[in-house]
Amino acid sequence: MTLADLKPGQCGIITKINVSGALKRRLMDMGVVSGTTVRVEKVAPLGDPMEVHIKSYQLSLRRGEADKIDVEAA
Amino acid sequence: MEMKSNTSGKSRQDHEKKDLIIAVAGNPNAGKSTLINAIAGSRLHVGNWPGVTVEKRSASFEFKGRQITLVDLPGTYSLSPYTQEEVIARDYLVTQKPDVIINVVDATNLERNLYFTMQLLELNIPLVMALNMHDEALQKGLIIDTEKISAMLGCTVVPTVATRRDGLDRLLEQAVSFATDPENHTAGHVSYGEDIEKAVATILSELPAYSSVPHTRWLALKLLEADVQVMQASGISVNAPFLGKATRHLRAAHGEDLEALMADTRYALAAGLTREALQKPQKRKRELTERIDAVVLNRYLGIPVFLVAMWLIFKLTFDIAGPFTDWLDGVVAGPLTRWTSTLMALVAAPDWTISLVTEGIIGGVGAVLVFLPPIFAMMFFITLLEASGYMARAAFVMDRVMHAIGLHGKSFIPLLLGFGCNVPAVYATRTLENPRDKALTALLIPLMSCGARLPVYVVFTGVFFAAYAGTVLWSLYILGIALAVAVGWLFKKTLFRGESPAFIMELPPYRMPTMKNLMIHTWEKGKHYLIKAGTWILAISVFVWFGLNMPWGVESKKDSYLGIASQTIAPVFAPLGFGTWEAAASLLTGIVAKEIVVSTMGQVYIPETEEEENQEAPTVGEEIKEIGVSFIGAFGNAAKNVFSTVGVATMSAEEDEETAGLRSVIAKAFTPLSAYAFMAFVLLYLPCFIVLVAMRHEFGSWKWAGVTIAYQTALAWTVAFVIYQGGRIIGLG
Repeated sequence: MTLADLKPGQCGIITKINVSGALKRRLMDMGVVSGTTVRVEKVAPLGDPMEVHIKSYQLSLRRGEADKIDVEAA
Repeated sequence: MEMKSNTSGKSRQDHEKKDLIIAVAGNPNAGKSTLINAIAGSRLHVGNWPGVTVEKRSASFEFKGRQITLVDLPGTYSLSPYTQEEVIARDYLVTQKPDVIINVVDATNLERNLYFTMQLLELNIPLVMALNMHDEALQKGLIIDTEKISAMLGCTVVPTVATRRDGLDRLLEQAVSFATDPENHTAGHVSYGEDIEKAVATILSELPAYSSVPHTRWLALKLLEADVQVMQASGISVNAPFLGKATRHLRAAHGEDLEALMADTRYALAAGLTREALQKPQKRKRELTERIDAVVLNRYLGIPVFLVAMWLIFKLTFDIAGPFTDWLDGVVAGPLTRWTSTLMALVAAPDWTISLVTEGIIGGVGAVLVFLPPIFAMMFFITLLEASGYMARAAFVMDRVMHAIGLHGKSFIPLLLGFGCNVPAVYATRTLENPRDKALTALLIPLMSCGARLPVYVVFTGVFFAAYAGTVLWSLYILGIALAVAVGWLFKKTLFRGESPAFIMELPPYRMPTMKNLMIHTWEKGKHYLIKAGTWILAISVFVWFGLNMPWGVESKKDSYLGIASQTIAPVFAPLGFGTWEAAASLLTGIVAKEIVVSTMGQVYIPETEEEENQEAPTVGEEIKEIGVSFIGAFGNAAKNVFSTVGVATMSAEEDEETAGLRSVIAKAFTPLSAYAFMAFVLLYLPCFIVLVAMRHEFGSWKWAGVTIAYQTALAWTVAFVIYQGGRIIGLG
């Protein structure tokens, strides 16, 4: 299951980030690291990007990126 | 800035009150720029970091008998080697070695901010933490144990509220004492755990044999992470045997991706520290930001709210600026020009010098000044959007659409402003962080049909398409947008090949911006435009005057340099249906400002009629009074425009008596088909040179202005060709 599969209101725990290089570092710098709980807050009116709650702040990312982040049910 | 050596002599000479360099670092949205504005205020100096277009803000002032230089580092989430801002921040910290770092931390968002603090501490530079927005944290019921943070990180923590100047004096005092008193300097490092520390120790012991660069803990950590930039700079290979040896155990125990291990470790420490030092309220209140977002980002309301916000920004920017633009234009073209020519005539200056000064130089000054009000207004509203937190929401709502054409959600606002005037629109691209997004957006802005092109359309549609003028007008705007989509796609496949940058953006809490901040940012932008762009605009304006008026004394414009040039290039336009020197001349002068196409046509198509103004010239006193009165009137009009939603200032074109003669000439010189091709050409060919100067100013080189000139000229010619020749084939011409 990936972060993109979660519906608004659902939580997940990050298990793996399936990207590398600058994008991976960027995600990690923003707090997307293994073991962290994320909650999907909203999806943009046009369906993309999405807003998640992580490390007590709000982060937005596109589904394309969210799809590369594996999560397990919290 | 001179290099500072921090290693020797410092402790002995401290009592000599040497100059101090303080670097201010922190996450975006932590209130860093508010804090700097509050400390430095009018002493702020704004420039660019060498070689890049990222803004550099710094200030020098005296504090307790010491000369302090405050350097604002770009707001970043990390010190990774990947983004421009991060590289600037770390390069500065590593090579310039400031005496102390003020780390601005958002007290309401402790964990992620502490992750950045961890990286700053790796540099082993004395650090003082400004625990900013402390009031907001208290309001949320967050209790932060500053003593604990201080003890665990070995730095002083000062709670601050930058918007109210709370704690700032103490912050500076602490920074100075921390930087100057080595006894007090306890900033040891935070332990990253046995495995990592062992690897670091091994690297440090082996380093001297491999590299002459100073072997610090920071370098060792970067080598461990295989940091691309440090690897390159130090000349140490990722495959260096000593690195393999040092990290063997780490890899075996934690996997191959050591960069990820480091990020995990820093975050684990930040999380641990947050757990220890932060007490959250038992029951979480539903925060204001959440309540606003429930409406602003709502599935159904999100887009209408966005559209209304955008409409307001557009209207307010151009409607507030409009009256002031008119006033400046009136003063420069009227009294200022009259006084100058009168004065020059008094000292018997030759006619051509009077013309050069009034039309070339004063005209140029006018050209610079008229863009000042919209730039001020644009910057004010852009700063307002950013500081309030709505900018990120606008990007969030619009990203799906903009991403489809290879742009970023934040590209929408600059493009929208382009419909009013391309010049402030180019400056508005500064909200885009990524250089690729920024450049691509700026390249597409000129395809947004600005207010200055409207008078051209109005004259031509009035003559040829009076019955369905609205439809024809709209078709031109749509043509520009459609071509922007196509050109954007084309650029994405060619000039900007490669993956488009990711959209990983914080949605910061809504905050009330302070007037002082808005004013400082607005003023800085306007001042910079005046100095940097103004010089170019003035020079080009004088150059254009020479083209129009030299050789001096020619009977008709046809014999001026401009006329000669127009006759030379006219054949190029023949396949487009308007291969006359008059059309070419008006297009050439349109580069000064597109609405000039109409007035040039008036001059070249209709032989000049000498009209002497018989009105009695107003006295200087009357004129000065009039300038004052009309300036006050401009405020009134601006205020009226804010409240009235009907009068679209930029969209109305004055239809006056003067153009009546021109209309009848145009009716004979053009056919409906060639008129439409001509309007399409005016829409698409290179923007006025002020836009090009703005691009050069904003991007620090002529590169993107050059690309704009090249692609727009080609595009305009091709589209006009297709319209004219295509129209003839299907029998419209």
